[in-house]
Formats: sequence, structure tokens, C-alpha cells
Amino acid sequence: MKPYRRADQKTPPPPQQMSDVAIMRFEHIFEVDPKLMQEHVRQHAFPNWDTQRIAASRHDHLDWMHRHWATVVVSGEELLDD
Amino acid sequence: MTVATAGGIGDEALAELAQFLGPEHLITSRPARLHRARVPAPFPVHRWADHLPDAVVLPGSTEQVAEIVRIANRHRIPVVPRSGGTGLTDGAVPLRHGILLDLKRLDRIHELDLENRTCTVGAGVNMLKLNESLSKHGLIYPDDPASYPCSLVGGRIGTSGWSLIGSRYGHTRDLVLSFVHVLPTGDVVRFGDGGGPKVSKSSTGYTLKPLFMGHQGTLGVATEATLKLYPKPEAELSPFWAFDDYETAWRALREIVWTDCATFAGAVLFDEQKVAYLRRDDEAYIPQPENVRALVCAVLYGNEDEVRAAGKRLLRTARANGARYLGDEISQGDWAARHDRYATPLHGRTRTGQVVPMSWHCEDAAINWTELPAVSRKWHDIVARLRERTDVFDDWGMFAYTSARTGVDYLTEIDVGIWEQELDDESWALWVRAKRDIAAVAVEHGGSISACHGACREGEVDLVPDELGGGYDVMKALKRRLDPNNVMNPGKYGFDGAFEEDLK
Repeated sequence: MKPYRRADQKTPPPPQQMSDVAIMRFEHIFEVDPKLMQEHVRQHAFPNWDTQRIAASRHDHLDWMHRHWATVVVSGEELLDD
Repeated sequence: MTVATAGGIGDEALAELAQFLGPEHLITSRPARLHRARVPAPFPVHRWADHLPDAVVLPGSTEQVAEIVRIANRHRIPVVPRSGGTGLTDGAVPLRHGILLDLKRLDRIHELDLENRTCTVGAGVNMLKLNESLSKHGLIYPDDPASYPCSLVGGRIGTSGWSLIGSRYGHTRDLVLSFVHVLPTGDVVRFGDGGGPKVSKSSTGYTLKPLFMGHQGTLGVATEATLKLYPKPEAELSPFWAFDDYETAWRALREIVWTDCATFAGAVLFDEQKVAYLRRDDEAYIPQPENVRALVCAVLYGNEDEVRAAGKRLLRTARANGARYLGDEISQGDWAARHDRYATPLHGRTRTGQVVPMSWHCEDAAINWTELPAVSRKWHDIVARLRERTDVFDDWGMFAYTSARTGVDYLTEIDVGIWEQELDDESWALWVRAKRDIAAVAVEHGGSISACHGACREGEVDLVPDELGGGYDVMKALKRRLDPNNVMNPGKYGFDGAFEEDLK
């Protein structure tokens, strides 16, 4: 396990431009391009672990919702391969 | 006769309420009243105080609700029922102050009848929490609004709610077998199909149940409901498909619905403006290629063998009609998120592209499949004219959801971001005018002003008589007869006209 270092957590990975209005710092986690958050709303500084926790929580919630509504989730990709 | 036209509660009425409710269930503090003044529907935040109730009551039984209504009649005080407060019209917003009747303490499951597959619950029960209990018995109550985790059974009755999977299981009106109802006079009756509380089809007498659903609190308040239950589905399949353009997607939607699979629970069409909006901020759509311009999704629920067989048919039909499957990750993730649209933090953009905090506002109508393209064009034009005038409004695109298994009509919605902190009288007037124009398009195209939310808001309500014709006169006559003192949610649905003689 990598030891926790506060300075590491406060330094996000460099952004990758994904579209005219969105960037990505962590895989599959998108952010509004900071240049669009200058006048009315400023971006909050998040430690890296918290950004990843929020994204993981969202996935946990969606997985829970699937289980809540049905026992099995059928894969469309699998049906297409049949 | 004196009808309730304004709020203000005297000490005598407050003392009567406190005496039988207990002081802890009668709240007059300003924060408690402020919290219950609005719902997520467009709200004139700059005139919040106009909608403050004078007192909040939290009854614990049908008998207490009835007594509150009787006190309101004696003192001519308006009563506004409120369940989850998640409605997208303003049924639970006080227009004349008065007593805010909060139903959240009616939160008990009274009976679970496993032999007949029904349950009887208080109006303050939430569907998600109910289904957590039912799941232990392999059952589900499949009423599935966008507010599923936070709306309550009583509000679903008062608004005659629409369900995302209603094409398979029916909507609230189909799923509620009967309910106990406090009339505007304080009398208590049960409405269902016939007299038996668990009967799904009767021909005895008038069919009164639908009349006392969707009235937005103007004809009383439901306190307890007996619900139809289904086996919890073995399987779910929710394919999402991309299209090159809106028209191809619109035509494919019809073919997908017309496969007529028994496990088909619903389909949704995303128009080009909706995809453009999602491409701005939604993790699933930001990486999509430019040729993804419109989307259709469908969902199947039921026994696993039936879902698999129907799924193959749907995938085949979609491909033959120009669809490209978007993959399991988007299909499964986006569908799961549709059960809970109220949890999403939102922002919009000014015309220069800067981010601003915005609330989600969803204007809905019932539109036939043939009319969807024309209505879509006209609605976007209306919102574009708003946006030309001010940064307060942002067009977030349109969805069309199947309301029925045959695909005859669609809950059609245009999502509009509103920068509420910037609202003032001028921008609010612009909004009300746009709302009226949106409703007028629905009526002009032979649809209905609302498939789901209700049609009693400022702007749209002006057109209800146009849509319903003589039916609106019957509504007014019923209101006057059943609520002679106009205590139940006065001001809604233009019903003051029913009391004109008294007001003179």
C-alpha cells in the first residue's frame, strides 16, 4: 500500500483535454474545463482520494439500484454475441 | 357563505390544533414554514414569502387529518397537503398561506397480504423504503418516478403520478387499488374499484377512484392506500442505442415499441439538443464520437428467459433501423441513474459558456408519436427565445418516454436550467409566458398539457379550460359541491371562478 502523503493528495494528475468544455485527470472522471469556471462559480480543491471516493460511491449507488430492481442484469453485449 | 381566500390563523384555531395534535406536531417556526413553501417546480424565489404557510401540522392518523380539515372549515383557513414535496407542478405550494398539512408521519406499513399480493400503507411511505421491505418476500411495488428515492405514496395519488416503467406495470392510477380519503368537509371515505379495498375491477356504481387522484390537493387528501404488488423481476435489460440523427431515432423508437414484447417496460428518445447537453457534462457522453446525435433506450423487466428472448428481438429490430448499441457500461449505468434524477447536482452555462448554478426544471406534456418532431421544434424555439433575452435560462434538451405499451403517446419533456438566484419579476414573467406557450403547443397538437406533473401552475393553468372544454366546467361544479368553503388548496386550477358568487 502506498503511504498517505498530504502533499501528494493535493497535487492532481495533469489534465487531459477531452472536449472543448471538459478535461480528465483520473480515468473516467471528467471535470468542467476550469476556464469555464472563472466568473460565477469557482472550482473547489479536492484531495485526490476524495475525487476518487465520490466517483466510486456513485458506482456503488448504481450497482445497488440494479440489485434493488432485479436479481440479474442481462448483458446486451452477450445477447449480440449469441 | 365565506370562502377561504387568504391565510392567517387566529389564536383560537391554533389552540384547537395544538390541543388534539400535541404542541410538538404543530410548528409555526419560520424555518419549518420556509422549507415547506416550495417544490422543485419553477418557483419565484424572489417572492418566497408570498408562499409561506402560517403553520405546519404533522398528523399521525386519518382521524387527525379529518379533524384538521374540520377545524379549517370552521375557521375558513386554507389547507395545503404535502407529502414528499417533490412534485414538478406546484400542488404542494401554498398560494394563500394557511395550514400546511405534512403527511410524513403517516409512514407505517399497515398490512402485507402475501396471499393476494397487496399491501396497505400510510400516505407518507416512500416507494424505495417500501420495496426494501417487500424484497424480503420476493415482491415489488413498481411505481417508479424520477423522484423514486424521495417521493411518497400520498403525493403519487394527489398528482396521479407517471411511472418510468408504466408500459409494463401501469402508472399510479393502475397500481393503487383503493385509498382512504379525507374529503374537503372532513368526512372520511374509501375510493377504489367498488367497495372492497383489494378489488382491481368492479362495475358497481360510479368509478370514483380516478376522480380523487391528480387533483393536486383541491379535493381532499389521501391518508392510506392499498397497493398492487408484483413479483420482484428476475432480470433487467436496458439497451441504449446511438443514431446519426433525430428522425432516424424517432422512427426506430416506434419499431422498437411495436415489437410488443411482454416484458417491455418502457423506451426513451433523447433528441439532438439533449445529446449536446449531455456531451457538455455527462461522463457517459463526453467521450462519444460526433456521429452520436440522438439516442433511444428501452428497458425490459421480468423472468430471465423471457427478458433474454425479448432482448434479442429488440436488439435485432434496433439494428435493422439504424441503431448502434452503445455498450453495457453506458446502458446499465445510465438506466440505473434514471430511477433517481433528483440526486444530480446541476449547473448550466451563460451564453458565453461560463458555468452558473442552475436548477433542473422539466416541462412535460402528453404527445402522440406522430407529433413529436413538430412539438420538439416548437418547444426548442420557445426556450431559444427565452435564452436570447437572458442568461437565467438554458435549454437542456428533450426526452420522450413511452406512456403506454402500444406507443400511442409519450411523456414529452423539455428540460430547462434556471438560474434561480437571478430571478426577478421581469424574468419570472418571461418564464410564465414561455410556460403558457409550451402548453399551447401541446394543446394545438392534440395532446395534453401534462402527462405526469399536473397543470395547475401559473401560465399553463390558463389553458386548462381550452384543453378540457366542458370538462373544466364539470371540475368547477365538483369543486364547489365538494369543498363549499374552498379550504382545500385554494387558488389552484383557477378554481376561484367556481366561487365567484361568494367572492362578490
